[in-house]
Amino acid sequence: MADTRAIPTRDTAMPEAADKPFDPWPAVIFIALVCLAVLFLTPTVGVLLSSVKTTREIALGELWSIPSALYLGNFTEVLNNPAVHRYLVNTLLVTAPATIASIVLGVLAGYVFAKLPFRGSNLLFLVIVSGMFFPPQVILIPLFRLFNAVGLIDTLWPIILVHTALGIPICTLLMRNFFATVPTALREAAIIEGANEWQVLTKVALPISLPALAVLATLQFTWIWNDFLWPLIFTQSDEKRTIMLGLVNMKGQYSVAWGVQGALSLIASLPTLIVFLFFQRYFIKGMTMGAVKG
Amino acid sequence: MPILNRRTLLATAIAAPALMLGAGSWAQEGEVTISHYFTGDLGLGGLKEIFATFEAETGLKVKDSPIGHEDFKTGILVRAAGNNLPDVFSYWAGARTQFVIDSNSLQPIDDMWNAAGLDEIVAKSVADGATLYGGKRYLVPFGYHYAGMFYNKSVFADAGITDLPKTWDEFLALAETLKGKGVTPIALGSKDRWPAQFWFDYLLLRTAGPDYRAKLMSGAASYDDPEVKAAMALWKELTDKDYFVPNANADGWTDASDKVARGDAAMTLMGTWITGYWNGIGLKPGEDYDFFPFPEIESGIANAVVGPVDGLVVSANAANSEGAEKLLTFMVSNADVQAKWAGIQGALSANVNVDPANYTSVMQNALATVAAADTFVFNYDLATPPPVAEVGLSMFARFMDDPSKVDEILANAAADAKEAFNE
Amino acid sequence: MERQTRFWQVALLALPLTVFAVLVIWPLASSFYYSFTNWNGFSADYDFVGLANFTKIYTDDLFRNAILNTIIWMVAAILLPTLLGLGLALLIDSRIPGGAMFKSIFYLPICLSAIVVGQIWVWIYQPDWGLLNTVIAAIRGDDMNFAWLAKPDTALGSVIVAWSWQQTGLSMVIYLAGLTAISEDLLEVCEMDGASTWQRLRLVVIPLLTPATVVVVALSVINSLKGFDILFIMTGGGPFNSSDTLAMHMYNESFKKYLMGYGSAISVVLFLIALTIIGIYFRQLRRVDEIYG
Repeated sequence: MADTRAIPTRDTAMPEAADKPFDPWPAVIFIALVCLAVLFLTPTVGVLLSSVKTTREIALGELWSIPSALYLGNFTEVLNNPAVHRYLVNTLLVTAPATIASIVLGVLAGYVFAKLPFRGSNLLFLVIVSGMFFPPQVILIPLFRLFNAVGLIDTLWPIILVHTALGIPICTLLMRNFFATVPTALREAAIIEGANEWQVLTKVALPISLPALAVLATLQFTWIWNDFLWPLIFTQSDEKRTIMLGLVNMKGQYSVAWGVQGALSLIASLPTLIVFLFFQRYFIKGMTMGAVKG
Repeated sequence: MPILNRRTLLATAIAAPALMLGAGSWAQEGEVTISHYFTGDLGLGGLKEIFATFEAETGLKVKDSPIGHEDFKTGILVRAAGNNLPDVFSYWAGARTQFVIDSNSLQPIDDMWNAAGLDEIVAKSVADGATLYGGKRYLVPFGYHYAGMFYNKSVFADAGITDLPKTWDEFLALAETLKGKGVTPIALGSKDRWPAQFWFDYLLLRTAGPDYRAKLMSGAASYDDPEVKAAMALWKELTDKDYFVPNANADGWTDASDKVARGDAAMTLMGTWITGYWNGIGLKPGEDYDFFPFPEIESGIANAVVGPVDGLVVSANAANSEGAEKLLTFMVSNADVQAKWAGIQGALSANVNVDPANYTSVMQNALATVAAADTFVFNYDLATPPPVAEVGLSMFARFMDDPSKVDEILANAAADAKEAFNE
Repeated sequence: MERQTRFWQVALLALPLTVFAVLVIWPLASSFYYSFTNWNGFSADYDFVGLANFTKIYTDDLFRNAILNTIIWMVAAILLPTLLGLGLALLIDSRIPGGAMFKSIFYLPICLSAIVVGQIWVWIYQPDWGLLNTVIAAIRGDDMNFAWLAKPDTALGSVIVAWSWQQTGLSMVIYLAGLTAISEDLLEVCEMDGASTWQRLRLVVIPLLTPATVVVVALSVINSLKGFDILFIMTGGGPFNSSDTLAMHMYNESFKKYLMGYGSAISVVLFLIALTIIGIYFRQLRRVDEIYG
C-alpha cells in the first residue's frame, strides 16, 4: 500500500485525455513478453518431449527433435503402475498435514511477535528465522537417531514433523509481517469489548489474513511436495515412499529410463501447479495486503 | 472460501496419517530386512520375484528397502549412524567393505560359508579378493562385472578391421586406422568421474603390474612415482593424438555408450553392465557390439582383469542374523537365482554352477576372459579407501580436462592422497 | 492485564517453540558436538580431537574454493531471480493482454522438481546435440560443441542460469503483488509532473517495492540453500570440485569421504556465515519497518 503522502503532489488540474500519438510501447512489450515466454517454456517443452519419446530415441540424441509419432507408452506405463499411485497418496499424506501444521505454528508464533512483543522477543524471532539458513544435511543424523529411538522410522510421521518444524521460520516471518499491518486499534477495540487474545487472533486477525495463508500454503506445498531428502532418510519400505523417491528410483545402478522419468515428473508436478492456480488470486491479494508490507 | 477452523485443521493433520499409516512395522519376527541399491524397473522387479522364491522356500519374509545407488551411500551411512542397519545390505566388495568392517558394523560369516560349502560354489577368481577380509569371510558376491573394451562391430567392419589388438602397438595402430576413417576411436563419459578410472587401472596394471598397484592402493606407494607417471604418459599419448572424444567430462557413461551405439565413436572401456544398457535400447550382442580385453603393454606382467563385485553383507547387530545368513546362502548358491539375476543386471555370476548357456555370447566371452586371467582386481574407487578414491577420481577428471598439466596434477594428487591416507 | 498478556505469550508460543527446539535447535547443536570429534559416521567409537577439524579448514584448499563458490552462488541466486522477476513483473503489470497466461508460464518452472529440472538442463547444455549449442551453431553458421557443464570456468555459471530460470517466477509473482498495491493516481501525478518512465521507476516504483524486495530476498536466500539438489544433479560439484559450494563440500566430506567430524565443522562455519547474513538482513528489515511501520 503506497503511502502517497511521501510524494509531494502539485495542485495541477487533471488534463483531459488528449488525443495521444500512436503509442508503440504496449506492442513492443507484448512481443518482448512472448519472446521471453517462449524462452522460458523451452526447458519445460524439453521435459514434455522426453516424456513422449522412447529411451532408445533419447539415447540416440533425438531428444530435441519434433517427434514424428506421439509415443504415449511412458504415460501408460506410469499411470498403470500401482506403486506410482501409492507414491502419490503418500506424498499427499505428508504434504497436506505438514503444510497445514507449519502454517498453524507460524500463525501462533507470528501473532505473538507482531502483537504481543516482550523483552527479548526480537532475539527469539531472530533465532527462529535463522533456522531458514542452514542446509538440511546438517541435521540428518541427529534427527534419524531421534526418530529411530521413538520407533517412528519407516512411517510418514518423521517427514511430516520435520517439514513442519523446518517450515516454522518462513511461516513465522511472513505471518509476523502480515499481522504487523493489522491495525493495533482493531485489537484494542476487541479487547475492550471483552475478547481474549485467542479470540482476537481467530476472529479478527485470521479472517483478514486468509490471503497470507494462501501464499504460505502454495509455497510450503510446493517445497514439501518436491523434497526427496527427508523421505529418503526416514522411509525404508517401498510402501512408504513418496513420488520424488519413486522418480529417483526409476534410475537403476546401471540403467536409465529417461522417457518414463519424464512422464512421471510431469505427472508429479501437476498437484503443485493445481495448488498454485487455485490459490493464485489469494496469492496476489495476500502479498498486497500484508506479507509484502514490512 | 470458508475460513478454515484451526481445530479441524489440527485434527486432520494428526488423524489423517495416523489412520492411513499405522505404526512403523519394520523388523518383525520371522522377517529378514534388507536394503540394497538395485533400483530401476528391471532390478526391482527381478528382486521381488527372487525374494518371493526365498519366502516360499524358507517361510521367512523378506522386507526390502531399495534406494538408488548414489542415495544409498547416504542412506546406509545414516542408518549405521543411527544404529538401525538392516539385517542384510548390498555393498561394494573391496576397500568400502573393509571400511565398514573396520567400523565394527559387519559380522563374519565363516560358519555359514563353510556349512553351505561356498568354497565349491563361488568362483575362485572372485572368492578370495572379494569375500576375505583380515582372514575372515564377510561378504557373498551377488554378481560381478568385468571391464573391457566394448566396440561397435559395424564401425570396426567399415574401417576394415579384422584382427582385434592384442598388444599396445596393435591398439595404437587400430586407433590410427579408425581416426583415418573419420571415426573418433574412443568414447569416454567421465562426468561422474568413475568411468575414467578403468583407463588408469588398466594402464597401471599393464605397465607396473598388480603388485605395484596394490601398494599404490594401500598407500605404500605414491602418485608421483615413476610407475604412475609412465602409465599417465601412455594415457596422455592417447589424448594428444585426439583418440578420445572431445569433452569427455561433459558426458555420463550412458552418453559415451550412446556415442558408440550411434557409431560416432568406435569403442569405450566400460564394465559389462553396458551390455544390459545396450540390449535395453535394442542392440544385439555379438551382432551389433562385442568387446576385446585391454591389450598387453609390457610382456611378462601378470594378466589382471578389473571390475566391481556387488556383495551382500550381514550387519553386526542384525536382529535376525540366522535369517540373514539363510538369505545370503540362498542368494549366492541358488543357481537359478544367480542366472536370472545375471541376466537382469548384465552381470556375471560368481556361482560356478550357473550354466554359461544362460549368458549372451558376449557375456560368455567375458566369463572366459575373467577365468583365463591371472588375477581379478577391483576398479580404482573400490580398491582404495574412500577418502583417497575422492582424490584419485578428481585427478582423472582434471587430467581429461587438460592433459598437458599432467605433472602438476600428479604432484597435487600425491600430496592430497598422502593426507587422505592419514585421515 | 499484564498477567493475561504473559499467559497468552506463553500459550501461543509454547507449541511452535517446542517443535522448533526439538526438531531444529537440538539436532543442530548435537551436530555441532561432532565437529570436535573424528567420528566417521559408521563406527560407534570416536575420539575427541579438540579444534583439529577447525584448524584443518584453514589449510583446506577445497574449502576455500567452496566458500568462494558459495558467495558467487548466493549473490547470483539472490540478484538474478530478483532482477529478472522485477523486470517481468513490470512488463506484465503494464496492462498487456494475456497477463494471467504470462504469469502462469513464468511461474511454471517452480512446480517442477529439482530432479527433472537438473536433467533437462543437462540436456540443454549437452555439447554435441544439446539445445544451446545447436542454436548457437545455427546462428554462427559453424560447429559449436562447447561443454558448458564440464569446463571449470562455466560450470557454476551454467547451473546459476538454470537456477534463475526456475526461481524467477516466484519473485515475479511477489513483485506483481507489490505493484498492484502502488496507487495508479500516484503514478499519474508523477507523469504529469514530467517524470520520465525511468525516473518514475527509479524514484517511485522501486522504493515503494522495498517491502516486496525484503520478502523476495528472504525467499531467495532460503531457496538458494535448497539449490543443493540442482547443483548435485547437474555437476555434482564438478568438474573436479570447481562448482562445489559449502553445502556440497560438507556433503562430500561427510558422506563420500566418511569424515563426519570434519563435515560437522564445515557446517558450523556455514551456520556462522548464515548468522552474519541474517544480521545484515535484519538491519535492512528494521529500516523498512521504520519507513513503513
